[in-house]
Amino acid sequence: MGLIDHRFEDNFITTSIDRILNWARESSIWPMGFGLACCAIEMMAASASRYDIARFGAEVFRASPRQSDLMIVAGTVTKKMAPVLRRLYDQMPEPKWVISMGSCSNAGGPFPTYSVLQGVDKVVPVDVYVSGCPPRPEALLYGLMRLQDKIRKEGTVLRKERIIMSGDTEPTLVGERA
Amino acid sequence: MQTIIRFFKTIFLIDLLKGMWVTLKYTPQPAFTFQYPAERRPTAPRFRGVLRLQTEPGTGAQTCIVCDMCAKACPDDLIALGGHREPGHKIKVLDYFDFNLSRCSFCGLCAEVCPTKPIKALIMSEDYELGSYSRDSEILRIDQMYDGVPIEQYTR
Repeated sequence: MGLIDHRFEDNFITTSIDRILNWARESSIWPMGFGLACCAIEMMAASASRYDIARFGAEVFRASPRQSDLMIVAGTVTKKMAPVLRRLYDQMPEPKWVISMGSCSNAGGPFPTYSVLQGVDKVVPVDVYVSGCPPRPEALLYGLMRLQDKIRKEGTVLRKERIIMSGDTEPTLVGERA
Repeated sequence: MQTIIRFFKTIFLIDLLKGMWVTLKYTPQPAFTFQYPAERRPTAPRFRGVLRLQTEPGTGAQTCIVCDMCAKACPDDLIALGGHREPGHKIKVLDYFDFNLSRCSFCGLCAEVCPTKPIKALIMSEDYELGSYSRDSEILRIDQMYDGVPIEQYTR
């Protein structure tokens, strides 16, 4: 939304506009289906009539990044796919969000190997991590509702922070720390 | 003769009408969409959700015996647990139980090898609503292992 972004000074209060814009944004999130592996099957199931992601206004899976607001990264991201993923993310217009769906894209899953990206948050900033292997369609809908909750609290002028993890970012267990 | 029949079938769009009749038969049926946040579909009996530590039902006493079997069974080394002995107690007291949810593939091997009887200490629960905002909150500490991951209730 380039209309009022960065038009005002900091601390300029735009709460009512924020509320309207956030309402519009949260209730029409058009996802770009980035199906890479078996999680994509559950994503398809979520968009089919049994679970019907259209109830949340996110049914329009666009094939083009130019028309989408949300990237659902569903599946194992290999290191060969990572530059493509980043490029598609860059081609999406603002505002844009990312849901990382499934263990593989969350942290690499059961593939701690040379060819698999250890977490999609190394290349794009991730908003919601949905766990599961693969997550049920309900879990994806839950993740979508979490994202809507996040969008509802977002400011328009003060943008959200975008964190891209770098280096070894996996949180450690107590046993590994000792 | 066959050619004439096929000709008339083509002209009157018989195959198309057959297909549309199937569509029409399904039209008056009620929708079978699950209204997910309002109604939660019951899981299958062997459904494997997020890991959960169980206590004894009446007393709330700890059932885990800190045998480290689950940590050894995990193919990705996602579980770290430890405890200490106390004078008075027969079993070890569980100090920490860390579980890396972000990598878990929900294979259930850890819950399968758990030797405690009659109440299994480590089970796969029925919770599947897992959505977090950060990777740090995907590590479940001991209190979340007992109580489960908090689930936000959305009504709209």
